[in-house]
Amino acid sequence: MSYVDAGYAVGLSVLVLYAIGLVVRRRSLERAVELSLPPSDSADGAAETGGASGP
Amino acid sequence: MSVRPEIPSAAAPRPRWLRIVGVAAVVSTAATVWLGLWVTPPDKIQGNLVRLVYLHPPIAWVALYLAFGLAALSSLLYLWRRTRSLFWDRLAAASVEVGVVFNALTLATGMLWGRPTWGVWWTWDARLTSTALLLVLFVGYLALRRVPADPEVRARRCAVAALIAFVDVPIVHFSVIWWQTLHQGATVLNSNLSPTIHGSMAWTLLLGFIALTLVFVWMVGVRYRIEVLADRTDAEHLEVSLAERWAEGDLDIAAIAAIAATNASNGGTGASLRPPTRVGP
Repeated sequence: MSYVDAGYAVGLSVLVLYAIGLVVRRRSLERAVELSLPPSDSADGAAETGGASGP
Repeated sequence: MSVRPEIPSAAAPRPRWLRIVGVAAVVSTAATVWLGLWVTPPDKIQGNLVRLVYLHPPIAWVALYLAFGLAALSSLLYLWRRTRSLFWDRLAAASVEVGVVFNALTLATGMLWGRPTWGVWWTWDARLTSTALLLVLFVGYLALRRVPADPEVRARRCAVAALIAFVDVPIVHFSVIWWQTLHQGATVLNSNLSPTIHGSMAWTLLLGFIALTLVFVWMVGVRYRIEVLADRTDAEHLEVSLAERWAEGDLDIAAIAAIAATNASNGGTGASLRPPTRVGP
């Protein structure tokens, strides 16, 4: 492998791995936030769509 | 002094422009690699080694000027009272992290170019040393962000740290002029503003700059959202801990006030500090 090939391999692979890491971190945090949303949100959503709601 | 505690909705959809930038970044980077490795001619003196010019300077451009420049500007806007907002602090944090990755790559690709050209992997040349120092300074910034503190205090001290670290950027830029260095002078942004690269090589280099700028914008966009989501989950963990402490009945008034202040400045989710209505056994 030439120095040029090594340069491109190192540069591009680090960028791709970092990008994948960013996407994974974002998805796991989005999931954590979704799970922590209070159940009243879904009740409100149900009310808006014509579902059962409180008095 | 007030910090606008804005936390954009975590449930908000991902911006469409970010997806477009992401696709454009992938396409333009692929085009740069194709042109750089297979289409452009070898150099008269450097031969095929010149192909690293389509990668190394664009990476350095992103690290030094875009990432750390944006971090310094955001830090300045945070420190200025009129524009003080946690938005700038988060943008600086996102920009520095991406910049550190690009700075490390600048050194790595530079070493891979230096070994066959200069005969050494590393030398304590002014350009190389000041670039390595820049990496250390901004890694220090990232370490400072991990030190537990009130978000406002953390934002202020990190903004100052970013501005101090940024002082090294002009030193890196002018190091090849101020000192005798092994590293060559600027190819495009030289003192005469007359690029010493032409034809397909110049266009490919320009495309490389555009491609890695798009990569940077996409990465900062995603990293900024991570910062927002992390702030939100931190605030929620705080509320859960608070509820548990209420249940244990060992919260005093001073502790409540301190936690309320922290939560407010962190852009808390708005939950009140009243005790939970149902307390477990």
